[in-house]
Amino acid sequence: MSKIMTVDVLSSIKGAQPSKAVNKLFEVIKKANTTNNNAFNNHNNAVSLNNLRDDVVIDSSATEKQIIIENFPKEKNGYLVVSKIIEE
Amino acid sequence: MNSQIHNIHQQLMNKDITCTALVQEKLDLLKQNINNTVNALLDTLALDLAAKVDAKIANGETIGLLEGIPFGIKDVYMVQGTYTTASSDLLKNYKSAYTATAIQKLLDAGAIPLVKENCDSFGHGSSSENTIFGAVKNAVNPDLVGGGSSGGSAVNVAKDYTVFSIGGDTGGSVRQPAGYNNVYGLKPTYGRISRFGLMAYASSTDCVGPIAKSIEDIRIVLNVMSGKDVKDQTTYTSTEIDQDAISSSENIKKVGYFKNFIENDAIDAEVKSNFLATIEKIKAKRIEVKALDFFESETLVSTYYTLAMAETASNLSRLDGTNYGNRIEADNLKETYAVTRSENFSEESKRRIVGGNQVLSQGFSDEIYLKGLNLRDQISKNFENDFKDVDIILSPVTPNTPPKIGDSLKDPHAMYLSDAYTVGFSLGQLPTLTVPQGTATGLQITAAKHNDELVLKFANFLKDTI
Repeated sequence: MSKIMTVDVLSSIKGAQPSKAVNKLFEVIKKANTTNNNAFNNHNNAVSLNNLRDDVVIDSSATEKQIIIENFPKEKNGYLVVSKIIEE
Repeated sequence: MNSQIHNIHQQLMNKDITCTALVQEKLDLLKQNINNTVNALLDTLALDLAAKVDAKIANGETIGLLEGIPFGIKDVYMVQGTYTTASSDLLKNYKSAYTATAIQKLLDAGAIPLVKENCDSFGHGSSSENTIFGAVKNAVNPDLVGGGSSGGSAVNVAKDYTVFSIGGDTGGSVRQPAGYNNVYGLKPTYGRISRFGLMAYASSTDCVGPIAKSIEDIRIVLNVMSGKDVKDQTTYTSTEIDQDAISSSENIKKVGYFKNFIENDAIDAEVKSNFLATIEKIKAKRIEVKALDFFESETLVSTYYTLAMAETASNLSRLDGTNYGNRIEADNLKETYAVTRSENFSEESKRRIVGGNQVLSQGFSDEIYLKGLNLRDQISKNFENDFKDVDIILSPVTPNTPPKIGDSLKDPHAMYLSDAYTVGFSLGQLPTLTVPQGTATGLQITAAKHNDELVLKFANFLKDTI
């Protein structure tokens, strides 16, 4: 399998191509000045690990389970049907 | 305008109106769907809840302030048992299995949900035209767009179909439609209100935001929805904002505005002159005003969209038709994913997903995505420094008045640029309120992180000043 993945494969969208409107935005970023700080130094969105919820299983309500099953796209003889997994 | 919530509460308590009649009247208006604001009516649920409120009042029991108040919900929030479509083909038959924390808090306070409201699909848009339910029409002029992405919510409030509505703001999606329809719309500090149960667009800027016709109603709804939630690790504990605390403008000594937002060719001449006239009125009240330097609009928009697209590509990758959504069967698993996504996502959503995967892929991430993160850090730092100097930053909401329906879809790049004044505050995760004053599409009031109270305080001051 080729190691180069095109955006249509990455996006699971048939025939997808980069768009001109979006590329114009990216061109601005390429030309912008950045600070010398390593770009990995982004701490703005880190959240504290000191206040995590309890690591316990919480069972969904019967209504919740029923709706989840209702939302499943395909059912056959009481089983939920998914696509066959292919091997490459 | 005075608080509608207080007025209706008083009318209910005085038995001037019944809750059932109030809810029925609003449902009848919404049913006509004149402005394409309705994705689904929650009529049975709403009338059921209204009857309970009436029974309580008839029994002489006291009711809470929000009890019996009808409201609308942007169709990206989970409300158990209701259709939650994100205005998309992919989820047009999807039912919420659970209820979003913010909405649950309103339900617990007794507010009555009337409607799931039209919006841009997955929040992808600034005009509420990217929807399978037809373009939302502006409340003031139906030939114009309702704004986006929470267009249906802003129009419903403006037309009095709902007393307040809950929108979602990632890059301006509450503030811009509020401005386009002359109502109030708040993007609180990121993390003040739980995002649990809000369909994710760009997780690092997604905010729950109330839209209403008065500052007082915004305050009431904000207080109810705020707070730490174990289901959203980014939430924090905040204190309630008191009505008296925001009634006077003392402590506001210095206001800033961004020079380059005003001194450029892209801004409409009237928006510019009205904004500058507002600045003069503020100066006349002996508040110091400072012109501040800021990043170019193009840099702000490009940084925001680069990060938002990367995040949405990741967030929406789960929508493949396997467990839910409109699956389209094909020869094998990968084909099923691809056909399902190709046929069910709108052109704008596809454009953003593809853009996001582009910047996250090897070879592009250093040059674009990581550089975008670095720019975001610089933007945040800039805000931090500004708020050491000024209390409030005032800006127009949009450079121009609302476009005609159909125009935004023709030129996506122009649509992205129309978000120039709102996206920076999203990247900074700052509290920002649109007020329907000052320019044709209103003004934005921004304060430092966690200082939502000051934003509301300054809004009260502006209401009396201009």
